[in-house]
Formats: sequence, structure tokens, C-alpha cells
Amino acid sequence: MARGRRRRRRGRRRGARRRAGWRRRIALRAAVLGLLALAAWVAWLDLRIRSEFEGRRWELPASVYARPLELYEGAAVGREAVLGELRRLGYRPVPGAPRPGTYALEGARLRLHTRRFRFWDREEPPRRVTVRFAGARVAGLATSGGGTLALLRLEPALVGKFYPRHREDRVLVRLDQVPRLLVDALVAVEDRGFWRHHGVDPRAIARALWADIRAGALVQGGSTLTQQLVKNFFLGGERTLRRKATEAVMALLLELHYSKEEILEAYLNEVYLGQDGPRAIHGFGLASRFYFGRPLEELDLPRIALLVGLVKGPSYYDPRRHPRRARERRDLVLRLLAERGVVGRAEAARAARAPLGVVPRPPALAEYPAFMDLVRRQLAREYREEDLRSQGLRIFTTLDPLVQAAAERALTRGIAALERARGLPRGSLQGAVVVLDAGTGEALAVVGGRDPRYAGFDRALDARRPVGSLVKPAVYLAALAHPERWTLATLVEDEPLEVPLEDGGVWAPRNYDERFRGPVPLYRALAESLNVPTARVGLEVGVPAVVDVLRRLGVRRPLRPYPALLLGAVSLTPLEAAGAYLTLATGGFRTPVRATRAVLTAEGEPLSRYPLETEAVLDPRVVFLVDHALQRVAREGTARGLARYLPVERLGIAGKTGTTDDLRDSWFAGFTGNRLAVVWLGRDDNAPVGLSGAAGALQVWGRLMAGLLPTLTPFAPVEPEGIEWARIDPVSGLRADGGCAGSVELPFIAGSAPVERAPCAGAPGPLRWLRRIFD
Amino acid sequence: MAAPHLRLTRPTVLPAALPLLAVLAAAGCATAPPAPVAEPGGAPMEEAPAPSPGAPSGAPPAVPPARGPVLALLDEARAAERAGDLEGAAASVERALRIAPRDAALWHRLARIRLAQGLWRQAESLARRSLALAPRDRALAARNWRLIARARRARGDRAGAREAERRALALEGAAG
Repeated sequence: MARGRRRRRRGRRRGARRRAGWRRRIALRAAVLGLLALAAWVAWLDLRIRSEFEGRRWELPASVYARPLELYEGAAVGREAVLGELRRLGYRPVPGAPRPGTYALEGARLRLHTRRFRFWDREEPPRRVTVRFAGARVAGLATSGGGTLALLRLEPALVGKFYPRHREDRVLVRLDQVPRLLVDALVAVEDRGFWRHHGVDPRAIARALWADIRAGALVQGGSTLTQQLVKNFFLGGERTLRRKATEAVMALLLELHYSKEEILEAYLNEVYLGQDGPRAIHGFGLASRFYFGRPLEELDLPRIALLVGLVKGPSYYDPRRHPRRARERRDLVLRLLAERGVVGRAEAARAARAPLGVVPRPPALAEYPAFMDLVRRQLAREYREEDLRSQGLRIFTTLDPLVQAAAERALTRGIAALERARGLPRGSLQGAVVVLDAGTGEALAVVGGRDPRYAGFDRALDARRPVGSLVKPAVYLAALAHPERWTLATLVEDEPLEVPLEDGGVWAPRNYDERFRGPVPLYRALAESLNVPTARVGLEVGVPAVVDVLRRLGVRRPLRPYPALLLGAVSLTPLEAAGAYLTLATGGFRTPVRATRAVLTAEGEPLSRYPLETEAVLDPRVVFLVDHALQRVAREGTARGLARYLPVERLGIAGKTGTTDDLRDSWFAGFTGNRLAVVWLGRDDNAPVGLSGAAGALQVWGRLMAGLLPTLTPFAPVEPEGIEWARIDPVSGLRADGGCAGSVELPFIAGSAPVERAPCAGAPGPLRWLRRIFD
Repeated sequence: MAAPHLRLTRPTVLPAALPLLAVLAAAGCATAPPAPVAEPGGAPMEEAPAPSPGAPSGAPPAVPPARGPVLALLDEARAAERAGDLEGAAASVERALRIAPRDAALWHRLARIRLAQGLWRQAESLARRSLALAPRDRALAARNWRLIARARRARGDRAGAREAERRALALEGAAG
């Protein structure tokens, strides 16, 4: 033990020396380590700053635009329609229309100063144009120089956005797009030393401290714009000392790497300036549109002062909820600007007398959920969902807000009227509408339910329902492809029919009215939508042949080739039905339904374009015959009720009603020369609604087209080569002449018209009038 | 919907957008049209024929299709073509087709652009649509059949090409 103690004492002395060395060494090491750690920390911050600042700075929502309105001589756009479009675009009435984004009504003329807009194909410059109207049409365009202009494409309305999941929204602006006055005002109010300091402004901190001490509370912040940016960008809202230190270091680093202009531009786009429900309004570009309904370039002094004032507290100074506070804040900013020499005192005083100029809260850009659904699904084939939500893509769609409005009105009012008239429980009936351009297949309107703003179940795209008689044209297309066997005049027996099925059962189709008519010509079987003759024709031509036609029309779903398919045991969505009828409207050319024309990057570079495509899938002569029969459906068949709404004859409307068992689904599909629409009505629980196609969907279709009447062109199909016309006696299906009452003129594939004369026409000239006397 | 025509120009998308670009580029490879082939019969693009008047049969539309805007857009298409921007030219013709969808000459014009892009099937289909809209315009029909013949030959359908040429010749004979 003693030995041990001695040793220890010796050791202690030695140890004391050693410990002093250790301490020094530890201190040195600690200092080095500390320095290293500090350096690593700074380097890490530096890395973060550079990677995040240079990489993607913001997740930008995709902007979805409606079709641009095209104005040209003869365009079927009335003055009211143009004014409505201008309102959607945020144009303001100003005498003389001096600036882009303004217009002036001068009697029957509309003076217009358009905004610059980057389209897929090129940029439209701002133009000064006078538009003349004649009734519901454009009569002419003149430029300010007195010349004429063939065509004017307005900027398209922004109708939707695909938001990032955090719902931050912004409209990016470049520094050169920001009014100089806004920049000066911002700097003057938020960070007077901005152009001089290196990220942190000691003088401002001292000033703020002094102000706080005098007031005995935190009244003034000494944060520079750079620090504010760092805080928003990399750090949270926490106010700890460590955070402050980090913020300061990062601000210094940011200034080291980037120019004042870059930092300012980032700030202008980052700053939080308001809230719109779940949507956070970031950046001055979007705030200008959100509060004033116009682009940043078009702001005047009072509005700029209001926006700059908002930086301090967007919800406290919210000009919509707290207009008085907002006004006081704005006027304070104006006084400050005058004090600091940014604007003249008189100018500031004048601006302080101006109203706030805030527009009512714009609709939440969620007006067209069903159409957006279609756009998103079509784009999902080439774009990842997260890219759609974050890359700031600019998506140009085919949506026509005027047609969409007409479709929504027709559906909601039509449904309400039907429920009243039929004594249906209120709110029980549902429906969907799809409207296409009949030439190009562009989707113009999609309504997914009776409440068009409700972004739930989209019946236009997702309600797959049996189409009933909507399928019949396919049966006749298959049959008429054999002109040696069938023509529109061929008589078919409308008599009881029983077909033994493979499973031992019997299929016995009946007509809607439960009557049998004896022999009827083919065209009438389609016009009257007779089930039994259609089933006979379909069975003879063969169910597989009908399935083949449905495929050609564009139906992609698996189809079960049973006899019941002939009478509509095929389930389609309204959109699919519209696509199939489009092939009839185009004379046998399948044309993909498109909701998107082009996609551009956030910077305006073209990414993809969705071109007009078409494919010849059916004999144009056969389609011509069926289209003729479909015109008779509207003129004299099951859709004759359309006459209540429209000049059916003049418009040459072709269409088809569809009704399913127990009146569960009510369909109408039809087209004019330029518009095709499909309407479905039914219940979500698939219970009967008591409406046939004619009693239900047709009424909505009629309302819809009546609403579009001035823009409709007649359906006048071009007669293909190899068609002949003949007058037919519908009773015998044979050749008629002037002596036959009720005869009809029908088209035939050349060589297939009946040669035999009908009994009423059999006699040669002189005898005929004699016979008429005796008959 | 058919695959879109992709036109990637400068890679201006920020780095984080690269995956998107990669996807698009891959899609582009799948659908990128082959380079236009030189055609023995002259320049790939001839001057557009003047748009045909309204459809020859059937009731005349209530309003005659506007000529001014269509001609202006055809000028635009021609300028784009000269600048080598075929997709831009197609976009202009499609714009014209929205104004005058029954103009057979416009469909033919679009068919020519697709032919120059090497999109043989689309070229033929568009020419057929042009034929269907003006079956009695023999000169235009002959041009459409010539175009179809070229598209078919390029696709390797020699019998089909000969048949189309025969029809073109018959029309030209009758027209001349």
C-alpha cells in the first residue's frame, strides 16, 4: 500500500505537468475541432444554400388554360361573349383602352388593347384592335393604324391549377417584369440598406434595438430582405438565438454567392402574401392577381403600396377582411415613401385618396373539376403526377368556357325541371354531359354531375352505364355494309321473336311500346328505335360483325358478343359514347377525343403537343346512310321532341335516344355540323328514374344546343361517291313515284336501290290518275 | 389519345425537372418521326393549293367559312415550314381547321406536313379525310391519291401505292 501511495504521489507530480500539457492540448484540439466544426457547419450551410438556391427553388403548380378565343370576321362570337371573356381575363374598361389589359366600348365597336402572351407556336404581341360586331358575330377587326387584321387570338383564361401537396401557389416573375416603383418601395419600407449591406445590416439592428428599448417592447425588426428570405427559404418561424445566428450566417453566405438582383428576385417570388382557403398566396406576381385581378406590370402606386404593406402581416392587414387596417397600413407606407424620397409628396397624397382597388376574391380555380379530371387523365399517360404538381407546366386545353357554361346550365336546370314535372324526389336525379367539337374531337365541355362545381364522382368519365338504343347505329352500320342484302328501304319483320340461348334460356326482345308493326323499312326501324327489327337484323348480320363495328367506332372496352348486346347491353361512360358518335359525325373517321392541345415548361418552352389525328375506319357510303337515318330520328323519329328547342330541319340534327330496362338510364347522343353532345341521366344507385331517352336526356340536350344556337352550323354531310337517291314507298319498300302518298327520298349505295315499282306507282302515266280516282 | 409530338429544345428546365425530361425524352424516342425524306417529285412541301370553296354537296352552311383568317394561318404555316418548323406549321393548319373544319384543302395541307415529317399513316388518313370532304374536286383528289401513294410506298406497301397511283392517274387524265 505504502509503495503504492508513493508511486501515486510521484505520479501526481508528473501527472500535474502532464495534465497541464493535456489541457493545453485539449484546448487546442477543442479549438481546432471547434473551428473545424464551425467550418463544417458553415460549409454545410453553404452547400445547402447553394444547392437549394440553385436547384429547384419552388414547386410550382401547373397552370391550366382554357382555349384562347379567336376573333375573326364571321366568327360566331357576339359582343356579350367577348365581354364575358375579357372579364374572365381581368381586362378593365378604360376610355380609349390605353394600356394592355384594357378595353373600351364605343357604341357597336369594342376597342381592345391585348396583353402579350406566349402560346405554343409563338408569342402574341400586345395589339390595339377595334372589333366590330353584327348581331352575334364579329363583323371585322381593324388595327389602330387603320389596317385590317385577319385574326386575333386573345390570351386564354386560366381555369385551373394542379397544386403541389403543400398547396403553395405563386406566379413567378422576373425582376425585369417587376415595376421599378415596387422594388424601390419594398426596399424603402423593409430594408433601407439593402443595396449596401452584406446580408446583415448592423445599423438597422442598432436602430431596431434603440426603438425597442425606447418602446420597452419588440416593435421593430432589424432583419434585412436577405435574412427574411433565408428565414422563409431554409428555416422555420422559430425565434431562438441559435436560429438568429444561423440566419445571419446564411444571409452572409447568400450575399457572398449571389447578386443583389438574384436575391431580390427570389424574395419577390418567395414572400408569403395571403391565404385563399387551403391555398397559400406567395410572391408579388400571384398576389397582384389575387388582390387586384391583373398582372404585376399593370399596378399603380396605391396598389403597389398596399402590397408592400402586406409583407408585414398578410392576414392582419388582409384588405378583404380588414379593409380599414389595410388602408391605414397602405397610407403609412405611402407617407414613408414620400419621406424617403421614393415618390413625391403630392403623388403620395393623391394615392392615399384612391380606394384600395381590391377585386372580389376570385373563384378558387376549381370551377371545372370534371374537365380537369379529363385533362389530368390524358396527361397522366406522359407525365408523372408529381411533375404535374410541381414543375409549373403550362397546359393548354380545349375547354370552351362558353360551351361549358351552357352545358352546366342545361344539365342543372333540365334536371330540376324534370324532377318537378315528373314528381321525382328532389335531388335524386343525376346526370352528365360531354360536348365535343364535331370536326376535330376536341372536348369543349365536361359536366360530371348536377352540381358542376362538386369535385367528387365524375359521371362523365366514370359512370359506366348500359347504353340501350345508343348502340343501334352500330347494328345498322354492320348490316348496310352488305348492300346486296340490306338497304335503308329493306323491310324487316316487326313480329314476336324468340331466340334460344346457349344457356337454355330464351331471348325474346320486345319493343318499347310493346306493340308489333309488321314489316317496316330499315330506316324507320332505326328512326323509331324498334327493338325487334333491330334484333332480327343484328342476328342475321351476326353479333361479331356488330362488335367489330363498335371497335371501329372507337369502343375499347371488352364486349361480350351475346344477342343482348344488339339492344344495348353494352356499358359505356358518356365520354366513351361521345367518342363513338364522333366517328359518325366525321363520316367514318375515328378521331381521338382530346382535352389538351399542348404543354409548355414554366419558361414557355414547348414540351409536348397533342396533334389532330384521324383514321378512316368505316366505308363513308355506309356512314352516310346511317347518318341520314339518324337525321330522320330527329326529324320524325324518337327525337322529334327536339323541335321544341331547336330548328331541327335547318340544323340537320342527327341523333339517337337510348333507354335501358325499367327506365334506369336515359341517354341522348347527337350532333350538328360543328357540335356533338352526349347526355346521360340516371341515379347513382342505379334505381329506375322513369325517364326514357326522349323524356329525359333529350330535353337536356335540347336545352344545351338551344343555348349554343347562334354558334351552331348545320350537319350537311358531304355525299360520298357511289351514292344514289331513290323515292321509296315505305309500305312496300319499293320504288315510288308522285302517285304514292307518304313516299320518302332515301340514299342508297349505288346499284342497291330497289328497281321494282311499288303497287302505288306501278301503273304507267295515263292509267295512274284513273286509278287514283278509284282508290 | 395518341402519343404527343415532343419538341424538346433548350434544356431550360431546372435540374429537379430532369426526371421529367428523361421521361419525355424517352417518350420522344418512341414517337419521334424519322427525318423527312427528299421526294423525287420536287421539294417536300409545295405551295398550298388555294383552299377549296365550301363543300360541293349538301345544304350550304349558314355562314360561309371565313377565308381571311384561314389564309393568314396558311401564310403562317408556310413561314414555319420554311424555317424548318414542321410541327409549328401543323399547329397553324390545325388552327385553321378549327375555323373551317370542312375545308378539304386544309386537310390535304396537314397531310402534306405529316408526310414531310415521315408520319406515313397519319398522312394517308388525313388525305383520306380530305378526299371524303371534296370527292368531286378531281384536282385535289388526284393530289390526295398521289400523297397516299407516297405514304404507302414509304411504308413498304407497294401494291397499295400502285393502286393509289392508278387512281391519281385516272383523275389526272380525266382532269386534263
